[in-house]
This record gives sequence, structure tokens and C-alpha cells, in this order.
Amino acid sequence: MKSKGRSWLRRRSRRPLWQSVLLYGIVAFWCFIVLFPFYWLATTSVKRPIDVSRGPNYMPYVDFQPIPDHWQEMFGSQRESTERHFRNSLVSAVGSTILSVIIGAMAGYGLSRFRYYWGRLGWDNDNIAFWIISQRFLPPAIFIVPFVLLYNSFGLIDTYAGLILAYTMFNIPFAVWIMRDFFNGLPVDLEESARVDGATRWQAFLRIVLPLSAPGLVAVAIFSFIFAWNEYLFALMLTNFRAITMPVLIAGQNNTRGIEWWFISALTLMAVVPVIVMGLLLERFITRGLTAGAVKG
Amino acid sequence: MHTIREDRLMKRVFLSPAVFILLALSIFPLLWSLGISFTDMQRGGSTIARQAAAEGISDGVGFLGLGFELTGRNYQRLLGDGRLHSTVRNTMMYVFVGVTAQYVIGLALATVLNQPFRGRNLARVIFLMPMMMTPVAAAYTGRMFFDSNPLRSPLAHFLREFGKALGMERGISVPWFTDTGWAPVAIIIIDAWQWIPFMTLILLAGMQAIPEDIYEAARVDGANVLQIFWRVTLPILLPISLTVILIRGLEIFKIIDVVVVTTGGGPGSATESLTLYIFEQALSNGNYGYASAIAYILLILVILFATLFLMAGRRLAQGRARSA
Repeated sequence: MKSKGRSWLRRRSRRPLWQSVLLYGIVAFWCFIVLFPFYWLATTSVKRPIDVSRGPNYMPYVDFQPIPDHWQEMFGSQRESTERHFRNSLVSAVGSTILSVIIGAMAGYGLSRFRYYWGRLGWDNDNIAFWIISQRFLPPAIFIVPFVLLYNSFGLIDTYAGLILAYTMFNIPFAVWIMRDFFNGLPVDLEESARVDGATRWQAFLRIVLPLSAPGLVAVAIFSFIFAWNEYLFALMLTNFRAITMPVLIAGQNNTRGIEWWFISALTLMAVVPVIVMGLLLERFITRGLTAGAVKG
Repeated sequence: MHTIREDRLMKRVFLSPAVFILLALSIFPLLWSLGISFTDMQRGGSTIARQAAAEGISDGVGFLGLGFELTGRNYQRLLGDGRLHSTVRNTMMYVFVGVTAQYVIGLALATVLNQPFRGRNLARVIFLMPMMMTPVAAAYTGRMFFDSNPLRSPLAHFLREFGKALGMERGISVPWFTDTGWAPVAIIIIDAWQWIPFMTLILLAGMQAIPEDIYEAARVDGANVLQIFWRVTLPILLPISLTVILIRGLEIFKIIDVVVVTTGGGPGSATESLTLYIFEQALSNGNYGYASAIAYILLILVILFATLFLMAGRRLAQGRARSA
């Protein structure tokens, strides 16, 4: 800590004043660009309709009187709808996250510790891993027709199971990729000594490897959750009523009630808050997960 | 040894679930929609007809009596579909303009965050925030800001006052969503606002992995800040730059939510993306066959983009290596 502080001082004194001004100027400008839309959402959600259309009003209590009506509406007369959609989002996101983490960790471990050879294709571990990650980049539009047909014939339309399954499919490639990278960086010695002591492969995986790879697992979980929570196209396509998620609800505000910006703002904040809270708490893991492998190479 | 036999079993156990899900939900639908793209399949056929059509495709047999016919018409239709051509153009524009803007700004912000300054950790967290917003929500927020009415939108208000300050009588007014030229710009800005953090984050990690002594050596040789940036930082960041550009490019090919929420594809089809057009053909019009054919065009574009990009990137990297 101490040495860090000192090098910071030393470097700072080396920097000419104009550079410091430029630096802080850019940082302040970009913070404004990022934060102002959030601020605008927050204030719009407590404005009277007249203050939204006859504005723009910037400061609560100064140029408009904030009212809690829209939030009360969301948790009052609209409570059933809000809760249902929030729950739908939560269930499908958490469900697919759990599945992706489990399946991704298993496949990642396999690709990191065993040697595969798919004779007919002539594929080894690297080919298999590349094939898996390449699935992530297929345009989802190509799945629209087959998924609608498939889900219709299996009765999966408008169910949690259907959404969870689709999101798991989308998240697996990334999960496998990150976990494989993570396991590659994990020394084999510990598992081997456990196996010498009589543990099976599976026990070694569960008791030794998984606890050590918590950061990787958390990174995978965050990405899977955020992806599923924010996903729009498949939620729109595979749900009709019961399983509609937050993004579809928000996007649909346009048609059902006309544009009520104040209510949309409140809904939007509702949808954003869980992700932001999770993201801020786990920011370190996000960086680590995103950059796993990318930096080493 | 029992461990060897155990391992032979376990290695299958570990990999199979992932492979099975991908085969069932990715490879199978992929092939199936290729088959559908060669039929005149429409929504509304009976389940039996649908299943028969699916089986028929794998046999390569036409199903005249069941309403589905094996045909190449979908691909002929592609050629004359003006709306499709404009969606392809729009999508390519989103990809190229969007990725370029996001990379340049993302790189600039990463360079800033790579400097030591007070409050850097806080700035890093704040810079990350747009990425966590639901894209649909970001699109709505963008729609509020790009509203042309200065009574509603703070941006329009600012532009009006700014224009007045410059001496224009009525200030600047941009018809964001009603003008065919400006509407795509608004969409590109919204997408960039949300995804620049991704570029910044990864490029920053790349910069932080560069050892200090390389900079030190360059400084000893008398290089100035700009030279160091061009000759040292950028070449070292080249591989990771190619990776993020490729990832973002492939993601923008899929754009739909921002377009749906802001313009719905309009005015006309000036902002319609390929994914949105496919969605409409499939679910609004029920043209399953034609939608699948367009989806395959999208897939081909994506593969072309990735391949050409990787080839160009490799050549660039080799050129750099030779000149260095």
C-alpha cells in the first residue's frame, strides 16, 4: 500500500499541469455522460406527467415537485404485474445461471485435464473448445424459426423451463471458455495428491478444484445472469403471457399504455438495480472473467 | 489400474452435458433451419405436417400434399427484396461505424484510466455502469434523450440553448428519429454508450499487463508520449484489440432490441436491422421458409466478417512483426 502511494506521488509530480487538467477533464466529462442518463431516469420516475412534457426539469424541489405516485403505482395497483415479471426474470436468469455454471465448469475441467480426440472429425481439445466458443457467435436470428417450431411441439412456449433451456444454451460456450482458462491456470499437484490419497476424480473435482476456482465460477455466474436478465429477443419470441420477463415488459410499454415516460423510468430502474448492485459488488470478478486468457496471450 | 478406466469414463461425463446441449439446441436447429430455408413453409400447418416436413427435409423429399414444398424460391426472392437490401446495408453500417467509434473512444478512455490519478478506482466502476443496463432500458433512455422536443429532452434543450448562444435564432434542432440520416446515428450512439465500457475494460486490462520497463526503455531512447503510444502500446495491444473488435462486431450483427424500442425500424426501413427483419418475417408474417433463408444470409455475412477480419488481423500482426 505504502509503496503504491509513493509511486503515485512521484509520478504525479512528473506530470505537467496541462496533462492533469486534461485527464480530470476527460474523466469528469465521461462520468457525466454515464451518470446523467441514470440521473434522468431517477428524476423522471418521480415527476408529474406535466413536468415531463413541459420541461425539461432538472432539479427536484427546485424546478419540479417530486411525487412518489409512479413507484406507488408500480408496487400498488400494478403490483401483481411488476412482481410476476420480476419473478419471471429472476427465475429464468438464476435457473440458467446455475445450469451454465455447473455444465460449463464440468466441460471446462474436462477440456483442461483430459485429452480428447474425436477421430471422425480429427478434432483435439483445442478444436473442441473452438467449436464450443464459436456457438456463442452464431446470430440468434438463425434460431428463431427452429426454436418456435421445437418449443411449440414440446409445449415449452411460455414456460420457465423453455427460457432456462434457451439461456443455458447461449451461456454455455462462454462458461466453458472461461472455466477452461481458469483450470489451465490451476496447478494439478493438489488434485493429484488428493487422488494418491484415494479420492476419485469426481471427489477431487468437487472438493479440491471447485473451491479453488471460486473467482472463475463467480465470473461465469455474473455473465450468465446478466445475459439472461437482459435478454430480449428470445424472451419476446418464446413467451406469451405467464413467463414474460422484464425486458419484454419494458419494451411493450410502448404499445399497451402509450408512452408513460415516468412509469417506464421507474420500471427501468427496477430492472437495472439488481444488476448494478451485483456488478458493483463483484466488479473485480468481472474484470478477471472478461480478461481471462485474453491478456496472457 | 482402476484410475485409468475411471478416467476414461469420467472424461466423457465431464464434457458430455455441454456437447449434448449444444448439439440438441444449436447444431440441430442450425441444420433444421437450413432445411426450412429450402421450403415454402408457413405458419399454421398442422403439427403432423410440420413434423413430416422436418423429416421430409432430412430425406430430401418434397411434401406437396402437406403444404410444404421443397423449393429454391426463397433464395431467388432474396435478390429482388429491396427491404432486405436496406436492412443489410443498415446492419453493416451499425457494425462498421459502431465498432470503430466504440474502439476509438474505448481506447482513449482506457488510456486515461491507465494513468494514475486520485479517484481512479471510482472512475473505473462508474465507467462500467452502462454495460449493466438492460439494453431495452438503455434504448428507452436514449429515446428520451433523442426526443427532438426541447420541452421534453435535456439534449434537445441543450442543443437549442447552445445554438442560440452561437447566434442562431432558433438554436440547433436535430430530427433524430424522424430523419432517415439521423435515426441510425442515434441508434449507433445508444449502442456505443452501452458498450464502450466493454472495450475500455478489456483494453485497460491489456495495458496494465504491459511491463513498465518497456516504457522505461522507450523513454530512455528519447521517445515522446505520442511515439510511445503509437510504437509501443498500440502494437502490444494489437492482438487484444483484434479480439474485442471481433467480439463487438459479431455482437452488433445481432442488434434488435435498441431498434425495436427506438424506431421500430423506421422511418421507412432506414434503421431496420437484419435480425429485426427476420423476426418480423418469421413471427409477424409467418414466412418460416423465407425468414430462414434470410437468417442464412446473416450467418454468411457473419462468417465472412469474422474470416476476413481474422485474415486481415493476422497480416497486420505479421507486418508489424517484420517492421519491428
